[in-house]
Amino acid sequence: MKYHVITLGCQMNLSDSERVTTVLDQMGYTYTENEDEAQVVGILACSVRQKAIDKVYSRIHKWNKRKDKDNLITFLSGCILPSDKEKFLKLFDIVFQMSELQKLPEIISQYGIVTPAALKQEFSFGVNNELSTFWNIDPKYASKFEAYIPIQNGCDKFCTFCAVPYTRGREVSRPSNEIISEVERLVLAGYKSITLLGQNVNSYGLDKKGEEISFAQLLDAIGQVGDKYPNKKFWVYYTSPHPRDMTNDVIDVMAQYQCIAKQVHLPVQSGDDKMLIKMNRKHTMQTYHGIIDYIRLKMPEATIFTDIIVGFTGETDEQYANTKKAVADIKYNMAYIAMYSQRPGAVSSRWADDISMEVKKQRHHDLTQELGKHTEVYNKMLVGKTVDVLVTHPDRKDGFLSGHNEGKQVIRFASNDHTLIGNFVKVKITSSTPFSMQGELLKVHQSVDLKLV
Amino acid sequence: MSVAKTSIKAKIAKVLSVRHLNDSTFVVRFERGDFQFEPGQYLALGLKGKIQKREYSIYSAREDDFLEILVKEVLDGDVSKRLKTLNPGDELEVQGPFGYFTIDEKKKEKHIYFIASGTGISPCHSLVMSNADLKFTMLHGVRTADERYDMMDYSKGNYVACTSREGTGDFYGRVTDYLNKANIKTDAAYYICGNSNMIYDVFDILKGAGVPQDQIHTEVYF
Repeated sequence: MKYHVITLGCQMNLSDSERVTTVLDQMGYTYTENEDEAQVVGILACSVRQKAIDKVYSRIHKWNKRKDKDNLITFLSGCILPSDKEKFLKLFDIVFQMSELQKLPEIISQYGIVTPAALKQEFSFGVNNELSTFWNIDPKYASKFEAYIPIQNGCDKFCTFCAVPYTRGREVSRPSNEIISEVERLVLAGYKSITLLGQNVNSYGLDKKGEEISFAQLLDAIGQVGDKYPNKKFWVYYTSPHPRDMTNDVIDVMAQYQCIAKQVHLPVQSGDDKMLIKMNRKHTMQTYHGIIDYIRLKMPEATIFTDIIVGFTGETDEQYANTKKAVADIKYNMAYIAMYSQRPGAVSSRWADDISMEVKKQRHHDLTQELGKHTEVYNKMLVGKTVDVLVTHPDRKDGFLSGHNEGKQVIRFASNDHTLIGNFVKVKITSSTPFSMQGELLKVHQSVDLKLV
Repeated sequence: MSVAKTSIKAKIAKVLSVRHLNDSTFVVRFERGDFQFEPGQYLALGLKGKIQKREYSIYSAREDDFLEILVKEVLDGDVSKRLKTLNPGDELEVQGPFGYFTIDEKKKEKHIYFIASGTGISPCHSLVMSNADLKFTMLHGVRTADERYDMMDYSKGNYVACTSREGTGDFYGRVTDYLNKANIKTDAAYYICGNSNMIYDVFDILKGAGVPQDQIHTEVYF
């Protein structure tokens, strides 16, 4: 029996997908790349863009046609807007939230297709059906050296451009003991890059109202895992924090532990206070600059990334200029710049998308140029220096490998030795561009574990 | 078929009453149970068993043994229309509280200016009703006099209705017109709630008058 899963959207969905495939594998199904030969087919949906929703409709209509001749079970999970969910319930056999993943085997078994799982009467993944137990499912990680750990699901922030609170529900924190155990397991298994995932990672624990540790305390506990295994080199990242909940103690803990990567991805979205009000971001540029100043004070070596939307509803030239000024003042190492587009279900989709595509493109180009001026200066400063690089994949350029340093900056170097992928190496930076660097391989890091490759 | 449930266990609350303030605006009162909140926060609410939920600021006071929300019926809306026809005993799903439009102890020492448009007065009402000693002025922007929701709840002289479509309020014009003529205190705290255009304009006026940004708090209504 075979299954096929289509994963759309962000890193959260990819992480969820790893857990879904684990459950299906444990049921006795085997994965197939060819959806036409699968008996169980599903989608991890994304509601950020209409295009992704259209893909779901297109697939389910195709699958439902296939049902005329094949025995087929269809399922849907991921980010789904309430209005879409009502429609999808009529089209898919099973629609579930990640929190209900443990029930998936039972539900599939009831569909009458004989599977190893259906024949095993006492089949069970857990001792209870609590909403958060899906986190206990050990995922089949897609990578042997990079892992993503969900620590929190949902969002309480209600930014007007985003539909996540409506698709994933409210913030729910995963129990800290599970997270710390998962980190330790990964470290012992030789993982080199571990990213804590959540829509607002640094509001971790707040939903438990004192019954769970804070995000800073969670990072501290993870830092102690690093101290416990001094011979295991790894970097822990987290994404994305919200400026509203970015407290100094988080930065203090980052500075304290070697294994917590000195890289902060702090979405600003706009550099204009009035735009921030309209986006319902709950932070001002004054508070944002305060956070950046503290990061630079405690970790001068830290790289700082951000997310920015240009051309949001009603954004004036002056407001855009304030964003450009923020990029110039803060000198980000990377900014993911998006041209605003209406997202179904988000509050802002009720407002006129009144900035023309031409203006959005111009602002996107202009801001990218501005960003490049500062990244170029920073990257040039690294030329001649030797840095640790985690090798992640063969580069597009033949004969080169690519990876990133602790600050998540892209670095490539000449080598055909693919066994280096998934390991730390020392690279001397020889040249730079605004958005990447090139270097020469000096040596493989001492803690390299080639068995994992 | 498995019907997905909400991701957090929502509290179920029975409706106690629906009090109509005019043709389109009403107050829904429902059971509080052990729901704790800070005045100024909001909750997400929908009818039991229905997927659709909306966010509403809490209208009632922290000490009340019930919860209230102030709702304006949205003509093409889904949830507000259903809420308008609720009967006592009907069940709601409630999640929360959420939000940061709250007043800390330090701010309570200052004179507080609430500047609200329409039902944006809701969290301000909760803040006033929960803090008896608050020194405040409630500047309420409405179109007509029948939108001065529960104006008698505010002590005399503290409530100023700015009516934009008729001269029956305390001031004929928008809240921004009022502020442009007023002597703005730079040492006061300002809490602004309503549509984003009103907040934008008030924000500019206050900043232009020299009010420090950390004394300006906003809550956007959509």
